[in-house]
This record gives sequence, C-alpha cells and structure tokens, in this order.
Amino acid sequence: MKTDWNIAAKSLDNALGVIKAVCHETPKVAIILGSGVNVLIDVDSPQVLPYEEVFGLAPTVSGHAGSLTVGRVGAAQTLVAIFRGRFHLYEGHDWSVVTLPTRVIVEWGITKLFVTNAAGGLNKQFQVGDLMVLTGFRDMQHPKLKETGLVPALMQPATGCKNALTEQILRTGADLHRENAEIGALRQGTYCACLGPSYNTLAEIEMLRRLQCDAVGMSTVPELLTAAGSKTQAAAISVITKVWGDGKPMGGHREVLEASHAASSRLDKSFRAVLREL
Amino acid sequence: MSLKNALIIDFTGSVSASDNHYLVFGEPVVKKLRSAAANKVVVVIDHGSQMSASEPHVVADHINLTGGNPLTGANDPCGERFPVVNDTYITEFQDAELDKLPRGVAGGLKEKVVPSKEEMAKLRELGVDFCCYHLVPTMIVAAHAGWKVAALVVPRGAKLDEKLISRLTGK
Repeated sequence: MKTDWNIAAKSLDNALGVIKAVCHETPKVAIILGSGVNVLIDVDSPQVLPYEEVFGLAPTVSGHAGSLTVGRVGAAQTLVAIFRGRFHLYEGHDWSVVTLPTRVIVEWGITKLFVTNAAGGLNKQFQVGDLMVLTGFRDMQHPKLKETGLVPALMQPATGCKNALTEQILRTGADLHRENAEIGALRQGTYCACLGPSYNTLAEIEMLRRLQCDAVGMSTVPELLTAAGSKTQAAAISVITKVWGDGKPMGGHREVLEASHAASSRLDKSFRAVLREL
Repeated sequence: MSLKNALIIDFTGSVSASDNHYLVFGEPVVKKLRSAAANKVVVVIDHGSQMSASEPHVVADHINLTGGNPLTGANDPCGERFPVVNDTYITEFQDAELDKLPRGVAGGLKEKVVPSKEEMAKLRELGVDFCCYHLVPTMIVAAHAGWKVAALVVPRGAKLDEKLISRLTGK
C-alpha cells in the first residue's frame, strides 16, 4: 500500500502544473488545515481542486477534506490558497509526499504560510479549545529516527520557530482579545510532533512535559522544516483538543474533531484579522 | 485480572510453556495478535537492561523510543485508526509472588541501540526505569487489537520462574 501511494503521488512540477492551469495568479498567503479545522469557508471567487487531481492522492483520515481552495478574502480581496487536509507519515507516506503541499506552496512563490493542527495539551494551564501559536517544536517523527531511535532526539533542545509572522499572529490575537474578551487570549509554546497513529501513553505524556513541551500532535513539523530556509515564512497554530489531567479519561479521534470544529470559528476570526494586517 | 489461559508471547526463549517463542518482534507476532481469540489477555515476556534488581520487573507503562510505530500504514480494521493505548497493561495480579515484583516504566528501544551513560541518565530523568526491545511494538499491536497485556521484563542472564507463569496461566 505504501509503495502504491508513493508511486501515485504526483511530482512537484506536475502538481504545480495542475494548479497553475486553473489559478493564474500567485496567492499572497497559503493555509494548511489540520484535523477537523475549518476556516475561511466563504471565500470570494473560489476555485476548488480535489487533492486527487492536484497531488494524485487524497488523505485517508477523517477530518481531512482533501481539497485546495483558492479564493479572495476581506475588503482587500487578498488571494489565499487553503489546503484542506494533509498527508501524514503514520498513513505510510514518505517524507516527500508529506511535504509535497508545502513544497508546492514554496515553489508557487507564496511568501506566507500558516499551518494548523489539532493537538493534545500538555501544559496544564491550557484548556480545550485554546489556540497555541508555536514558538518552538520537537521533531520525534522524522524518518531518520527510524534508523537511530528517539534517544538522540531527546538529547537535543527544542528548535525555535518564532519569526515576524508568529509575532504578527500574537499581536493580532492580543488585539482581538482586548476588543472582545470572549475571544480567548492566544497561547504560545512548544509543539512536539510524534509519529502516531496510536495516542501517547501516560508515561510518554509525562516525558514530554518534562521536556517542557506544551502540546503534542502528529504533524506540522515536516511543513515547518520544509519552509525553513526558503522564501516562504511559516507560522503554525495548534488547536488544543484535549488536555491530559490527573484521572481524566483519554478521548479518541471523534473528540479531537469535535474540539477542532468548535474552535474553528475563533481561528477563522484570527485568520481574517491577520489577513487584514498583511 | 486473571491470566488463566492467557496467550504467552515469549521473546526470551525461557518459558517452555509458551507455544509462541519469537526472537524479535515482527509479522508473526502481529499475525498472532490479530487472529481471533476468545480471551484477549496476553502475557509478554521480554529481556531487559538497565534494571535496578536482578529479578523480573512488571511493566506498568512504557515510552516508545523506537522511532517507529507498528501501526504505520493503512489501518487494519481490527482496531481504531488512532488507538488509545492506556489502560492496556495489567498491573494487579492478585498473586503474592507476582505482586511483590518491582514494577516501572519500560523504555522501548530500537533493536541494537545501547544508550550511553549520559543518555541513560537522561532517559531516567524523563521517566524510564528500565529498557527493553520487543515489548513496546508488541503492546501497541495488542492494544490496537483489543488485548490486555501483562508484561514481564527479565534481566539478561536472570531466569524467569516458569512455575510462576504456569500457575498464572494454567499452562
């Protein structure tokens, strides 16, 4: 199955060719949406391309629509490319497939990328529905770790990923919170990308807390690593879909999707506000 | 929880009662755990290292340090795409001999990885009590397929009392 998927995946040039045949203008901003996260539904002049048409394959996980929408947002009619869904390493995809949408974004010449994900909250101050801007990350899913195991990764410090774009989101989030207290303050912290697909054990949760990680998920780091060093500046936001606490039962994927859906309207407001500022 | 008639998966080769001896975790183990079973309780016996005592340890939880996951790829319909793997280890046996054994968190290493002194200190700081190689992927596959797991990790060179396993499983 893995081999079939990776053969089915289109090359970067092919994928970009499919998009450019339909979209003749380079968007100003790209957004990659994670599990159950749904924002900017009503863009103007939308052009929708299914992932199968663009990339040659579709996500296999529920909560990932698997479509690219290019449309205009707000009074400034900012052109935005919204990638609804992603490919994951746990699905059996190679690194080249998992990073294909981001490589398309970079090659297309889009200079600003927002990445979202659903994540479990490790920081005990967090609550379900909080939005956390990533200021750092730990990579515990990179394919090279299959060769070495995780021990070398544990010996390294987290990687910082704060940049002008993350600062802008944090500023805009603070403004929104000041204007309307019902829009909770944005959190910030370190995200750990684990391979999955099984959820973490309680001992693993405790380990990640000791490593001072604030949230854990199964994605996003490939996108950030791919954009790093390119002309595309990337920022990532986690939707906190559960928080592990003493004695609290573990939820499953359904709970993740419900929490992501519930937080999507806040994220939508944040994105529209950030787009106004760009 | 009763271990009567539990399946035994033995990576140490020291339990003659087991009809499931394996040298390493792999497809035969996966196949066994995905086959139909009326009583989904499995006893997994693995060799361990970095242990504080020379007797077998009961595994209360684990940290997957292998860098991989046996559920990667298309989901097998025997379980959820995103399985919750907590509450899988059996830690109370109502057996005086077993219940007095030391217990702790197993760090599941990738085969042939031997942590340096510095790395082991870091692992202990992060919650690892001892290390093993085959238990963790086995447990993940078992949990995905709906099994409860009683796990014993035996220091290399130490013997597991076979009578204990026989008494518990009736085999």
